[in-house]
Amino acid sequence: MKKFTIKTILFCTLLPTVSFAQMFQKVWYDGNSRAMFYRDALTGDLKDSDTTSTRSEGEGYTAIDLGMHFTPNEEIEIFSEIRVKNDFGYMWGAGAYVDLRRLSIKGVLNNRVSFNIGDMYLKQTDFTLNNFNQELSKYEPNVFQAYKDLIDYENFYMNNYWRMQGLQSNFSYTFYNSIESVEADLFASRVRGVQWLGEPELLMLGGTSIIKLENNISIGVNYVNSFEVQSSSLDTATYYNPVTNLQLKYKKRAGGLKYFLSIDFGGSSRGWNKNNGGADFETSGGFLRGKTKVVAKNFNSTLGFKYISPEFRSAGAQTRRVNFMSVPSSYAYYTNNTILRPVSMMDIITDPNIYNHRLSTSLMQYNILYSAVLPYGEATPNRVGGDMVFNYKNNNSSLLASADIAYFQEVIGQGTTQRRSLVSSGLSLKANIDKLIGFDNKTQLELSIISEGVTRGGDEIESISFNSSLVSAGLSYELFENLKIIGGTKSFTGSGNEVGVQRDEYDQIIGFELLDFNSKENIMLIGLQYNFTKDIYFSLQTNKIDFDDKTSETEKLSLNRIYFMFNMNL
Amino acid sequence: MKKITYLLILTTMCFFSCEKEEIEGPSLNDLFGQLSIIEDFRVVGDSASFTNGSVYFTAEFSKIVDWKITITGLSSGGKKIIAGKSNKINAANSMWDGEVSYLPFFVNESCAVRLTFDAHPDTINDFLIITEAKTYGNGSEVIIADFEAGWNPNFGEFFNSGMVRKIESPGAGQGTRYMVQESAPNGCPWDWLIGYVDYYFDYWLQPTTLNADPDNVYFNIMIHGDSTLSPDNVPNSLFKIEFYEDENQDGFWSQNNEDMLFHEFLVDWNGWKMISIKYSDLEISGAALNGGSGNKIREPNKLTKVRTLLLADPYDQADLNSCSGFAKADVDYIVWSEGSPILDQ
Repeated sequence: MKKFTIKTILFCTLLPTVSFAQMFQKVWYDGNSRAMFYRDALTGDLKDSDTTSTRSEGEGYTAIDLGMHFTPNEEIEIFSEIRVKNDFGYMWGAGAYVDLRRLSIKGVLNNRVSFNIGDMYLKQTDFTLNNFNQELSKYEPNVFQAYKDLIDYENFYMNNYWRMQGLQSNFSYTFYNSIESVEADLFASRVRGVQWLGEPELLMLGGTSIIKLENNISIGVNYVNSFEVQSSSLDTATYYNPVTNLQLKYKKRAGGLKYFLSIDFGGSSRGWNKNNGGADFETSGGFLRGKTKVVAKNFNSTLGFKYISPEFRSAGAQTRRVNFMSVPSSYAYYTNNTILRPVSMMDIITDPNIYNHRLSTSLMQYNILYSAVLPYGEATPNRVGGDMVFNYKNNNSSLLASADIAYFQEVIGQGTTQRRSLVSSGLSLKANIDKLIGFDNKTQLELSIISEGVTRGGDEIESISFNSSLVSAGLSYELFENLKIIGGTKSFTGSGNEVGVQRDEYDQIIGFELLDFNSKENIMLIGLQYNFTKDIYFSLQTNKIDFDDKTSETEKLSLNRIYFMFNMNL
Repeated sequence: MKKITYLLILTTMCFFSCEKEEIEGPSLNDLFGQLSIIEDFRVVGDSASFTNGSVYFTAEFSKIVDWKITITGLSSGGKKIIAGKSNKINAANSMWDGEVSYLPFFVNESCAVRLTFDAHPDTINDFLIITEAKTYGNGSEVIIADFEAGWNPNFGEFFNSGMVRKIESPGAGQGTRYMVQESAPNGCPWDWLIGYVDYYFDYWLQPTTLNADPDNVYFNIMIHGDSTLSPDNVPNSLFKIEFYEDENQDGFWSQNNEDMLFHEFLVDWNGWKMISIKYSDLEISGAALNGGSGNKIREPNKLTKVRTLLLADPYDQADLNSCSGFAKADVDYIVWSEGSPILDQ
């Protein structure tokens, strides 16, 4: 009877709540928030020798991104996100900004075709449209999460999607014959607007269609075309770059294992249409990639091969995140000669302002030191080779291990008939020690190493021997519930010689630069992190940063940093 | 599935086995490699007769390089420069027909030949002998004056007091004699004009009526400058050439109703230089009472006189700092050519 009474009371209490929740709500809000502060202090030799830089510098801000969702009916949602930001050190509106951060309209037509207008996130394949990860980010320990979250959020990086503006629509049909379903996704995006007396408007059109067959085979067709609009500028030539990627996928389950096979192939062309007809610098390239993947309960393994021709160009897949031509936030100019400090590992890991948000129509500059093997991601041109990835986790996921190795060669040599051989490898181990040894306080240890090597034969000028490695470690120990002490390090070394390329505006190689490397960089951190939830936390840490390029008299920097961040992502 | 894996491995091996000999970008060896001479530098036809022959050079290098061959006449001082970018020098890129790059003209003489390279200190020397120097012109040229016979007293002249006009030798641009024109050391204090010479048609060395097509007639004059600069760093010598057309063919030029055309330029170089201008590119005088009231049609066949003037900025005698200084423009080999500038023939 007692149980019945309780159930009756609960039913009567909860029913209106549930019913209310089912009612259509026209406006609702969400939002993200961040408070960040850092202060750097010069240490090391530079502290004494550099008399023009300040002894310490720093900045911080509070930002709230208020999202408003307006749903006039069940089929349409209008979303806007307003950023209110206030830099530390200002009052009464000075240093405060109100910006529109995102604006989009989403909807569904006849419950069949969905559409999105305004800001949107787009991704296709590794060869057509893909925002590949920045260098030095593989196997990064979780203790660096505060920096990673800041970089990703401020630069609109969501997985490997590019954030663009335009129109997107998709729909799918399900059949009951040999074709199971057909999906289609189309978009039109404006990458660069009209500039008065400047570059022409840059648009990108694309589409994906996936046909799933009943025998576990699927066929995908991906196409993007980025092109400049001739009539929107006084320029005499306008860029075009269509890329096509066909995909075949097959999956099979046998003997308790799942097998996946995928083959990608396609091509690109790129050139500049001239006003008076014809095209300049037109190049065509192609690619082929095959992958097999085996998935078991405790491990999965991938074996792949790929060939990318030297002429393959894809603005959507080869645009880099890190812009090495940018000015870093911390100690941008240093030494008594006030020289511009080059972007280094410290900036790649901690500075959101050196990152790029827009597709580039030419191959962006990169630093061989940090990215020698695949500087333009999976779609890096002039590569042929294979790779293998292996992931393992034990039964209770207390131990996770990953290993990968890749070997590539250039398809044709740069400046010589000798071709580079490029090797990259990585090893990562993540141990949830509390689970492993039955410890009460959550304790996690992460260790990883990634390395790259480049060799090339030939005479004294042609030969290359370059090696780099990044060793990372992270340890977190839960002092009290949700409060943990964190410590970590990243140590990078790069040494040897390489040959950098100089390209003109049409990506033609016009010269080379003989480079010598002997560089060592470290970041160490220790601090406290309190997690309200996985994505709501604050982190207070101190960092020790060292950068020493032994081939240069000037390129040395040592800093001590205090860093605080409150992060709230809903 | 195993078969597919094997297939992948096989495909990989196939691609690795593909050898491509082409390269991307310029050759590293050309940019950074050491320069060595694979085949010695050689003059082919070292006793050169340029009346109907030519000379070329051969050599081979270990890399593509910017090279320059300088041929200097040991008597005349004339210079010819042949330049290229390649790893081979041969007839295709070094043929020399005896023409000159820097005046004076070559004569029958011995020449020093020097091969040099950009960004490399290596220098290779050789020599050749010109047995018959090149003669310029295509047979249609009309020589006004070459001063080889000295000053022609039938030419008109006016030079301000203290200014110099004389015939000098050696150091001519062509032949052995040339005409010196220069100011006093501090210029001419009271006038822009240093002096002028009138070359009347009747007293030209070859008083031949010119072709009537102004697009086909070129005036050529050798001028030796010394690039003296005024106090405000402007070349101090201004050279003006005037062309007088006797439109009604009455034997006189009337300043009120016949054309005067002109061309003027600063003499901002050292040494001899050939100035060539097409008749149709000459400006017509805008002064109504000084050659600006003619029919405005360029008619080289009606030319009655050519006048060359040397001018310089005068100075204030009360302020010697205003002095524009010395002015000089020596003259040699004044000649008309048909079809192209004389040096291109």
